[in-house]
Order: sequence, then C-alpha cells, then structure tokens
Amino acid sequence: MAEFFGATVEDVFKTQDARFRAEDAKGVDAVVAYDITGEGGGRWRVTVRDSRAVTEKVTGSDFGAFTTKITTDAETFIGVTVGKIDGTAAFTSGRVKIEGDMKIVALLPRLFTKYSPPSRGVSARDIIATFPERFRPEAAKGLDAAIGYNLAGEGGGQWTAVVKDGRLEMREGLAENLTVNQTVGARDYVDLMLGKLDPMVAIGAGRLRITGDMEVAKVLPKLFRKYEPKEVERGPELIVLKKTISVGMRFSTGPVMGRFLEGLKGRKIFANVCPSCGRRQLPPREVCAVCRCRAGEFVEVGPEGVLVNVEICYYASPDPLTGETRETPYGTSNILLDGCRGTETFWHYIKREDLFDVKRGSRVRPVWAESRTGSVHDIKYFEMVR
Amino acid sequence: MKKPKKNRNVGIIGVGQTIYSSHREDVNQAEMVHEAVALALKDAGLTRDDIDCVVHGNMELFEMVHQPDIWHTIATGAYGKSAFRLTTGGTTGTTVVCAADNLVASGLYDIVVAIGFEKLQEGHTTGGITNMADPLWGRHLQTGALTDATAQAMIREFGEERALRAAMRMRVQMDKHACLNPNSHRSFGLDYSQIDDLMKNSPRLVGELRLIHMCSQSDGACAVIFAGEEKAKKLSDKPVWVRDHITVHREETFTMYSLDPADRDPSSHRIAAQRLFERNGITNPVEYFDVFEMYDPSAWWGLDWLRDFMLLDGDEHLKMVENDEILIGGKMVMNPSGGVVAANPIGATAIVRVAEAALQVRGDAGRHQAPGGVRHALASGFGGTYWTVLVMLEKDLDWQEVSADG
Amino acid sequence: MDATGGKRGEQQTADEEHACCKVVEGKLALPYQYFAGRVGSRFIISLRDGKRILGVRCDACGRVFVPPRQTCERCFSDLSEKWVELSDTGEIVNFTVVRYEDRHLPRKPPFVLALIRLRGADTPMAHIVEGVAPENVRIGMNVRAVFADKTTNCILDIDHFEPV
Repeated sequence: MAEFFGATVEDVFKTQDARFRAEDAKGVDAVVAYDITGEGGGRWRVTVRDSRAVTEKVTGSDFGAFTTKITTDAETFIGVTVGKIDGTAAFTSGRVKIEGDMKIVALLPRLFTKYSPPSRGVSARDIIATFPERFRPEAAKGLDAAIGYNLAGEGGGQWTAVVKDGRLEMREGLAENLTVNQTVGARDYVDLMLGKLDPMVAIGAGRLRITGDMEVAKVLPKLFRKYEPKEVERGPELIVLKKTISVGMRFSTGPVMGRFLEGLKGRKIFANVCPSCGRRQLPPREVCAVCRCRAGEFVEVGPEGVLVNVEICYYASPDPLTGETRETPYGTSNILLDGCRGTETFWHYIKREDLFDVKRGSRVRPVWAESRTGSVHDIKYFEMVR
Repeated sequence: MKKPKKNRNVGIIGVGQTIYSSHREDVNQAEMVHEAVALALKDAGLTRDDIDCVVHGNMELFEMVHQPDIWHTIATGAYGKSAFRLTTGGTTGTTVVCAADNLVASGLYDIVVAIGFEKLQEGHTTGGITNMADPLWGRHLQTGALTDATAQAMIREFGEERALRAAMRMRVQMDKHACLNPNSHRSFGLDYSQIDDLMKNSPRLVGELRLIHMCSQSDGACAVIFAGEEKAKKLSDKPVWVRDHITVHREETFTMYSLDPADRDPSSHRIAAQRLFERNGITNPVEYFDVFEMYDPSAWWGLDWLRDFMLLDGDEHLKMVENDEILIGGKMVMNPSGGVVAANPIGATAIVRVAEAALQVRGDAGRHQAPGGVRHALASGFGGTYWTVLVMLEKDLDWQEVSADG
Repeated sequence: MDATGGKRGEQQTADEEHACCKVVEGKLALPYQYFAGRVGSRFIISLRDGKRILGVRCDACGRVFVPPRQTCERCFSDLSEKWVELSDTGEIVNFTVVRYEDRHLPRKPPFVLALIRLRGADTPMAHIVEGVAPENVRIGMNVRAVFADKTTNCILDIDHFEPV
C-alpha cells in the first residue's frame, strides 16, 4: 500500500478505535464515511455511538447510511491526519470534500487523539526519559511537589515527577494528591516541547489542561533545561537570536506633573482644573484636551475615595522599567477621590490582601510609602477603609 | 463636521495577505512583508514598476527594530520611489489605508501600495503596549491591552448569565468564521455546546476576560493596492471603491470610568460612526452594511462595540449575537474572516479588516464569502486609548453626495 | 475650600513652575528575538560551521549581494536559491574611525568601522578592521576576514577584517 508522510491509510484506520476518547463523545451519534481515492486509498466507515467507536473497512461501493462523508485522495488524507497539510486549506481548495453534517468534522479532533506515524520522530515517552538529565536542582530548592503528566495516545502514558529536597524522582502512573496535573495528547506534548505548538494556544483550545496549584505550575518550565531534539528530528536550522534591549532614559516632568509629584512627597494629591469645563485632571496635565485651553489651577483632592473600577490581573506581565515579571494576581483600580466627580478617577494599585474583598463603591484610602521621592510609588497602594 | 473634499475617486485593485501564525522563523521581517506585496501585485496584475508610492506601517517597539521601513525597502517595492512610514498604534493598518486613499485622491500618485505587518513573536507585545503609557504614571500601572472593565460593565447592565453567555457565543461565532478562512492563526472548531465549559474553565487573564476571549499574538503581513478612478477601471474588472473614511482620537486613559454610566462620554467608536454615517446619509447601518469587518481585540470588546458602531440601543447588539444575525448568511455579517480574535499581527490587523472587506465586496473571499452579493462594507481600526478609524467600501460608484457642507 | 470639598489652589508663578520641573531617571528593558529566516540562517551557518562567506546573485541584474537577501529590490527576482561563494578578501571602499565609547559598541574606541567589498561582490558590507592603526587605513586597502573562535550566531562570526 502506498505510503505518504511515513504512513499508509490502512495504518491510520487500524489505530482509529484505540485513539477514541470516550469522555468527549457523550451524546454523539454519527457515522462518518471515508472515501479515500487514488493510489493507496480505500473506503472506511467509523461509527460513534453510546460512547463507543467502531471502525470498519467497506468492501462494496455502498457505505450504507451515513451522517457525514469525507472524500479526498490518500496523500491529502494522510497529510492532513499527520499535520503536514493544512486541513482548512485542503478543504478550501476543494481537495477535501464533505457531504452531510459539517459539525461532526469539527468534532473529530476531539473524539480521536491525533494519529502519529509509528517510527517518526521523538515520542512523548522519549522526552519524559530525558527528565533526569535535564533536571535543574538549583531551580527546585524548597519545592515539594508531585507533578502529573497524563499524555494520552501513541507514545504517551502517565507519569509523576516527584520533586523534593532538590531531587527528582520519576514514577510510572499518576500519583494521588498531585500538586499539579497536566493532561495533553502525546503528540501535542511533543509539539509543545519542540516549540511547534504554542502553550497558550493549546490551553485556549482545551488541548492542554493544567489543574492544581497554579503557582507551582508557573515554575515548572524553570525546573528543566530546554529539551533539545536530536539532529534528525529537526528541519534545516533556523537561527533565532534572543536579546533584551535595555536603555537608560530621562523623563522631564515639566511644571505641571512636577508639581503633582512634589505634592505626593508631602502626602498630598493635587488635581488641576480646566477653567472652561471645570473638570479635574488626575494626574494633572498642562492643557484640557477637550476644551483645548491651559489648565492651571491646582486643588487638593482625596486622599480617600470610592472605588469605581477594579481589575484583578492574572497575566504575569513584565514591568517595562525593570524587565522583571510582576507577581500575580495583582489589582489595578480607578478611584474617585473625595472632591472629584464623574469620570475624574485616579489610577493606582489595590492592596493585595484586599483584592477579593473590595468592590465597586468600596471606600479606600492611600497607604503612603515611608520614603517618598515624588513618584507613583510614593503611594504603595490603596486599602479598604474597614 | 465638514466632509473632506475628494479630488477623485479611489479604488482598491489588489489585495495580498500572508498566512497568519504564531511563528515565522522561516522568514525575516522583510521577507514576510514581501510575500504580501508580491501577492497583492499578482492579484492586481501589476509589477513593481507600476507602483508610484509605498505607505508602510507597524507598531513601534514591538520587534525592537527602529525604522523597519528602511530595511524593508528591498521587499516593499519602495526602492527609488516615494515612501512613507506611519505608526498610530493598533489603528496603524487603517491609517495607512486612509493615507493611501488621500494620496491617490489628491492626484499626487496614481498607484499606492499600503502595507501593514507585525512579527509579534519577535517582541514582547504586552511590554511594548505598556511602554506607550505616560512614563511617570501609567507605565507603572498598565498591563498592555488587558482589561475586564467592559466585561464588568456588561455584567452590570445585562446580568452575569446573559452577558457571559453572549460574549462566549460571539467568540464561538468568530471561530466558526475563522475555520473557513485558510489564513487564520487560530481556528479551533468551537461549537455552541462548549459555551458552558469555556465560561467556567478557560483560564482568566483579568477578571472575566479569559484566554479564549482574547486575541492572539500573530506574525503576518497584508498589502492593499489603491488606484485613481481612471486607472482602477482600466486595471481591474472589480475595483472596490473607497467611499469615505474617518479618524477619531480621544484622550480617555484616565477618564473612562465612573459610578454612574450617564457620566461617561460617548466612545470614540460611536462618535466616529455617527459622524461618518450622518455625512453619508446612512440612517440604519445594520440595514445598509452587508459586511462589517471589526477590529475586535477580545470577544467582550467585539460584543460591546457592535452597539456603538451600528448605533444600536439597549440590548439590540446582544440580540444580534443571540439570534445569529452576525453569522455568515445572517442579516449583517460581522467578521466573516474570523476577526482579530482569530489572527492579530497588530500592525497589519487593521489593514486586514479593509482587505477582507474588499474581498467580500469583490465576491472573492472564498469559503468565508458572505452570500447574496456584498455591496456595502465597513471596516474598523482600533488603537491607543480609544482611537477609531472607520473605512467605507462600496461595490458601485453610485452613492449620492450628502451634506457636503454639513 | 470650594463647593466640592477640594482646597482652592492658586495659579503658579513662573519661578514656582520652574522649581517644580524635575528630570526623572527611567529605563526601558524589554526582551525580544530576531528570526533570521531561511536565507539569513544559511548565511550565518555557513560562516559559523564552514568559515565560508556566501552571497546571492540576481540573474536579471547580474549583481551579487553580500550579505544575501531573498529579493532583488529592483526587479523583485527571488534570489533565495541563487547562492555564490565569495572570497574572504576584499577592499575597503569607505571607512570611519569610531572615537566615542558606548556599551552598545562592539569594541573599545578608537576602532575602525569600514565598508568592505569582497572580491566577487557588488555590495559592500560593514565590519571592523583591526591590525592597522586608524591613521594608516586607506580606501582601496586589501583586507581579509578573520573568523571568530566562538560563535554568536550573527555577523560577528567574522570577528574582524585585517590587512592582507
């Protein structure tokens, strides 16, 4: 039988039932007919019903009743199956034809784990086997965790990495009381390790699921040196240079921002007022952009106020002034200080301990830094008035 | 607001897009930009010699390459010709379109190529965006473009269950479109049956803004070729006419939150839509436009902004989503391309909206073509702290001038 | 106090304004990466692993570009498979002496930065010239590439050029 991309059509259908994921097939009742044309082709029928999958070769020309029929040539079929040909592009260009219920086609990647040719490339099992040599004891100091790897499909399996006292022990199977558990298809896991699949994309699509202690999950990438595939598994080398730009800068405050920052040193918050519309600007700006006139008059506002908007941020972003990653979750907020009206809010942090207690309308006050230099950090954060 | 006088009509005669993906290690920036330019020239049946001027744009700070247009001269066709670089944040892609339209309409150039590109994988997007804030204040507090203030406001207005469900329904609708677009960076095959699961389990970025709601970070480039009326008619069987465009900037960084929603000023989106539709005599945009390619950085913003752009009231925008009226085949198709949540090479993102809208008007969008003949299309750009650009495209040169002095 | 509870302030005098003007030290630090692409990677890998300098020839214009580029900017020909190997010697077509110190610069000043056209190439490339005092560098001088012992996966895999 003709082979494309290291596999035959027969290979794919032989493993079809073993790749079935019953947990995602609840309520699915469908018969998918495959008419694979040309050299190396054939006809198959895959029935999904009552959380079971049955794959049969069709010998005659009649598929019987089907929900959906997929017609394509053997090369395209295998190419799409192993990810060498873009499925949507093949469909758009007419190389793949679909009759009947389209919805099932979108469901197929969830119902069956991806087929991987038996002899091709590295397996998830191979990568797991490199854990001990890639382990970085210095990064595991003080960590006591059991990390589960639930990698379904060909070349996969279940493992637990037990990290304690700067040591790593690999165990077969998933331990009870896992600190973190990761569930992902074995092929996807390999692609993640090779940098071919973006982790955020995998999480977004529900292909990678991480449960348990997210603080521990975040340090996992640091526990192991990067997996380096052997030469044969790589295409032609493509050079990627990694750099960090770091340049010193000097910002002029100007008289208006300067007066505001000077005020913070003395624990005072100054707004300036537009003589035309009367709005207070926080921080003050030289002009009112709405009225296009100079806003010169300063008034002291606050320091207490009412919370108008609070955002709890879980995304670990870098502080662009230091390049260091901020600790999550943190909360930024917009506060209507006493003396301000409408949208004249003040932008600052909320105390971490108060993050889940405060709400819109909560009364808050600034907590001043001991040493104040005339910067945003002269206020450490706002806290709830209890 | 006075409508700008257009010296002559301008048509889009060529569109070129790369695929959008998370990684393009196989090409450097110039090589990726060249892919889009070469495809646009091929689409228009032109060669480099036919180009009079190149307008090039992307985000500052994102790839840490200063003045990339200079390096890209080897790839854009700008060698020995007029060339401009523009960068206006997320709106860059639509700003290069406005500039190209103005340059051709003025009569100074006959054929102008507008280019937007980004290789977000080369830089740090959130870090780059954060650096646009005031260095003495906002830069310390901002987290790129991540916010759930819109989610909170919609939950307050429509109740948690309805708001969460409508935002996720729109996300699934966008994915259904993305699955039909071969250039999409992200096409998951999502189904309405997954809405409950995603509402609960998609990881949170900020509050109720979850990973699935948010746009991707993509690599890709897009080029669009503009020509004066005479040349456009000669060179193209199906020129797409640029009827009008509008740009509205606001300073809302510190003044967009209030306890009483009535205190808030109308958004730049609503102001732009009101002014543009008024001066073009459009009273019912949902009826008028067949397709709207919106710059939707997240499903929450996409949902909320539909109300502003289409000048809707109350919960009309939610109903459009709940009744599938924005799906391909629906009353007013939104983002048949899958939108920004499906692919977001930021400096290219807004020009992709115009390119996709033009393909819809031409009837050349392929699998994601809206049926029934698209005659009127709208494209939006979004950037900065609420900046808006709207571009109106037409199949026929048959519109009436309205309120030229108004 | 005004009606809204804020304390009524006063307009600043010019002197007061000046006293408030400060300069704040800041920094911009962001990670990034650069994808060299297929053409750029082959050029660097050839320098690194083979100590060979590759360029590309545009058949339409007849010009040889070093470093290589995928597209000819004049005729838009695809050059990505038009490889030619060049000599490691060439001539200085222009140069400057860098006399200020900056942490971003590749050498301590003074050092010579030259445009060098390799034998067989039509475009010059910028590089460092060592082994000759700055005052003795001349346009037309023949120089040879000295390859770096340690790779940095960039053009500095040629460490510098020196007089032949």
